[in-house]
Amino acid sequence: MSSTNRIFHIRHLNKLRWLTLTLVFLVLLLLPFLHLYQTYIAAHAYDLLSPGEKQIYDFMEMLTSPFVSDAETQLDAVKGNTWSGTLFGLQLSDPLAAVTQMAAAMKIYWPFVLTALIPVVLTVLLGRFYCGWICPATFLYELNSNLAVMLHKLGLHTGNRHLDRRFKYVVLAVGLVLSAISGAVLTAAIYPPAIIGREIYYGIALGGYSHVVLGGFGAGAVFFFATLLFDLFVARRGFCRYLCPGGALYSLLGRYRLLRIQRVVEDCNDCAKCNAICEFGLDPLRDDFGQECNNCSACIAICPTDAFAFKFSIKDQPYQGPGHLGRIYKRDQAVTAEDGNV
Amino acid sequence: MKRRQFLADLIYGATLAVTLPASITEARVNTTGIRYLRPPGALPEDEFQSQCIRCGQCGEVCPNRCITYFGLANGTDVLDTPFIVPREQACILCMKCGEVCPSGAIQPIKKTFEDIVGKVKMGKARVDETLCLSFQGKTCGVCYRACKLQDVAIRIGMLEQPHVLDGCVGCGLCERSCIQIPQAIRIIPDYG
Repeated sequence: MSSTNRIFHIRHLNKLRWLTLTLVFLVLLLLPFLHLYQTYIAAHAYDLLSPGEKQIYDFMEMLTSPFVSDAETQLDAVKGNTWSGTLFGLQLSDPLAAVTQMAAAMKIYWPFVLTALIPVVLTVLLGRFYCGWICPATFLYELNSNLAVMLHKLGLHTGNRHLDRRFKYVVLAVGLVLSAISGAVLTAAIYPPAIIGREIYYGIALGGYSHVVLGGFGAGAVFFFATLLFDLFVARRGFCRYLCPGGALYSLLGRYRLLRIQRVVEDCNDCAKCNAICEFGLDPLRDDFGQECNNCSACIAICPTDAFAFKFSIKDQPYQGPGHLGRIYKRDQAVTAEDGNV
Repeated sequence: MKRRQFLADLIYGATLAVTLPASITEARVNTTGIRYLRPPGALPEDEFQSQCIRCGQCGEVCPNRCITYFGLANGTDVLDTPFIVPREQACILCMKCGEVCPSGAIQPIKKTFEDIVGKVKMGKARVDETLCLSFQGKTCGVCYRACKLQDVAIRIGMLEQPHVLDGCVGCGLCERSCIQIPQAIRIIPDYG
């Protein structure tokens, strides 16, 4: 057991990650209903609401009344989505939004760029953590991966092709150049978390002027559905791995991240479960994490011998050879021992 | 070697991106097929499209649900940007959207009489006298009564005939309230 720089070792971190992913997604689902509730209050016409609207009103009143006294204004404290949102007066934005706006507007609008500062600093320190821990699209993509496993067990063909991971940097560059040419923030249209945030709002709150709840989904929902099919039938988690422009930006920002998952070679038995579980198709077994690792801790959770640990380092360690609990290492040891005896 | 290959890929993709869609650079005109207003405080149309990041917060704070979003049918440049169709639901000038907008595409404007009259430029109302009931001798005056800036944006003369003044900011409440079908007063959008 090496004890150098080892911070903590919690196998259930992956469950905590699922909890945060679920929470973020639930909040995104809740916000449009809160918005509807606010508009119903503003209209001062409870009696004129349709039965469905009254249900929303009553349920939201029940949810929020313990926390807020003046729902119409106080509920403005949490607005938006993970692309750009307001959290109790603090505005936070996706770095991709800031970068694309810079490209499209050909200038730096500081009040907005500064809203991306906290995410950028966190990404530089923690790497691509957003992709694994917060992104509302990840929540659906990982469920989609589980669905793929189920389909596979049923004997259906699911895709697991390996494409070139660098392609997403091309998508990012092309997206930025196109945004600069057209003068419109185009990456917002193909970036899944931005799409999810918007489409949930469209679907729930913008159901047309007839006030039909659920029915306002737009082009983004179709695009996102297509990416789900791509992940299912072409490449596992393919959009995040090979195409996502935001993922590309996060990977670049997190290249020299401080917090890394590293293999403890003394505890490893070469079972390769980590390689199988890794959503991003990395190679933890051979110490190959790279800039793509999003510190999601799925490998930590699956490892039967607890051979992974978080460490502070700006570089991955080089390949340490086969795990000391594995057969290859033991055989090699036996061989060298024999050589020594002779 | 790998890095060089990667850089070559990057440059190749970038040149493709520059050469292929030359058509998008055409001048900004209203190509959406509908007459729409931008939320109050919005930048001129060109700057608005390049600065709006399509986060949807303006619609989410709008207590009047007047802000909706463009779909793909209206073109990729305006995709998911906010707009208002005053005949459907007009702006009540609450100025919350400018307050919440993180990108600066909708500039914050204080909710005071001077700031709203001075800075909000969504458009200007225009009366069609052949349609307007008051000009046909049937006294109406609904548009005047719906206006939030009475006698600054609109005044009524004989037989409640509406006359639009320079103070009109283009919120569209008059168009929304007009009892004629089709409406006799319309906002002519000001895209800056």
